[in-house]
Amino acid sequence: MIDWFAFGIVAGASLVAAMVVVGLYSLGLRLLTTGGRIPLVDPAEFTGAITVLTRKRAAKAAKRTRKAAAANPLTDRQKRAAIGAGYACFVLCACAGLYGVYLVVPALHG
Amino acid sequence: MPDLSLIVVLVIALALVFDFTNGFHDTANAMATPIATGAMKPKVAVGVAALLNLVGAFLSTEVARTISGGIIAEGENGVLITPELIFAGLIGATVWNLITWLRGLPSSSSHALFGGLIGAAIIGIGTNAVDFTVVGAKVVLPALIAPLIAGVIALLATKLAYAITRREAGRPDGRGGFRSAQIFSSSLVALAHGTNDAQKTMGVITLTLIAGGFQAVGSGPAFWVIAVCALAIALGTYTGGWRIIRTMGTGLTEVKPAQGFAAETSTAATILASSHLGFALSTTQVASGSVIGSGLGRRGATVRWGMAGRISLGWMLTLPASAIMGAFAAGLTTLGPIGIVLDALIGGLVIVVLFRWSRRNRVTHNTMLNDIDDAGRVVKITKTPRRQKRADRKTRKEMAL
Repeated sequence: MIDWFAFGIVAGASLVAAMVVVGLYSLGLRLLTTGGRIPLVDPAEFTGAITVLTRKRAAKAAKRTRKAAAANPLTDRQKRAAIGAGYACFVLCACAGLYGVYLVVPALHG
Repeated sequence: MPDLSLIVVLVIALALVFDFTNGFHDTANAMATPIATGAMKPKVAVGVAALLNLVGAFLSTEVARTISGGIIAEGENGVLITPELIFAGLIGATVWNLITWLRGLPSSSSHALFGGLIGAAIIGIGTNAVDFTVVGAKVVLPALIAPLIAGVIALLATKLAYAITRREAGRPDGRGGFRSAQIFSSSLVALAHGTNDAQKTMGVITLTLIAGGFQAVGSGPAFWVIAVCALAIALGTYTGGWRIIRTMGTGLTEVKPAQGFAAETSTAATILASSHLGFALSTTQVASGSVIGSGLGRRGATVRWGMAGRISLGWMLTLPASAIMGAFAAGLTTLGPIGIVLDALIGGLVIVVLFRWSRRNRVTHNTMLNDIDDAGRVVKITKTPRRQKRADRKTRKEMAL
């Protein structure tokens, strides 16, 4: 007997889980960017990377980021709200991931 | 209770070696992307992967039960599988694994394991020894479907990630932030790997113990079996990681942080869900499916069908080829003790060759990282020309005004 229902569950659950986690994290990044706190990743933090930004390109990116942040049309209050909401998204995203792991461990629930 | 016979000890030892090589071979699945995009330092990544494989192995035993209680009909009503046949199956699987690894062919250690066992059972007992419906429903079909599911999910997730973080009027999109996210997503993949791959060895050892009469039919793996398998796969992962570090920069596919994050999340979700339902799937194939899917989710992506065909051919070949190897080894065991000694000699030789080879410094991307890297090259990304980008930005600006 081929259990098509089980395949459906795997596909459905994985799809929902991946979309929720990826969606929340992306939304968090979007909100941070909107709030003016643009996540700029310093190449020095990621020395193992294959495509490391050159110093010049990194500086250019930093400048662009500062400029964009300065030209932000939002009020300070809106910015704070956006950044707060962004971090809330990250927390939710982490919770969703942990909940997924919790669900697959039989020892944690009956 | 019968004595702990030599053959049972041999099988357990060989199964653990297989487990070790599995971790050794698969570190790349979890950690190649974060290392490539620079999300994690290689040393940290390898350590984390090993630790999470260890933890993952303890989390669930569903997959182990599929193997010990389903695929080969054992017990009172079924046919009695002997430890000798399991031994032969393991030899077959290990030999096929080694061949594919040295030749740089994409394959799956899990399918090699199943193939070897099935081949040995057919030769040793007959076709009625194998429960073909379980093999079809829990091994072959998941093998075909899981990479597809993971690929589709990865494609959708990549599109979603890019849509949400869409660049607006020349402002930075903050996509670099996906690098930090990869630390978590790749850790999840390592954990998922532990819940699926370590289980396979546990299942085999449990099957041996059941066949040898040490354990009741239909019971799950004992605690010491879980612990030993978890340790073996973690050790293998850690050791294998050093090879990856040495291969760094030998030509990884370009994977963007957003894409890598989406791919890994899909891989982890698919494997975890399957482990929970007891599907023993190939983690390598799921990861490859995700990498291809996420590549297709990017702009200007086209498939290199020749490459995709080569990979799927390797996948299809694994089960029958290792079944033949297992059958051959099982044929030897019918000679009696001499056959087992012969099998052990061949197996030992294979393992020695494997380690001699792995210790050689000549590491090409063919001998390592091959599966995922090949999968990445299935998708060809045509870069958007700069002029086009500028025009796009202009239209978007005008639309905003």
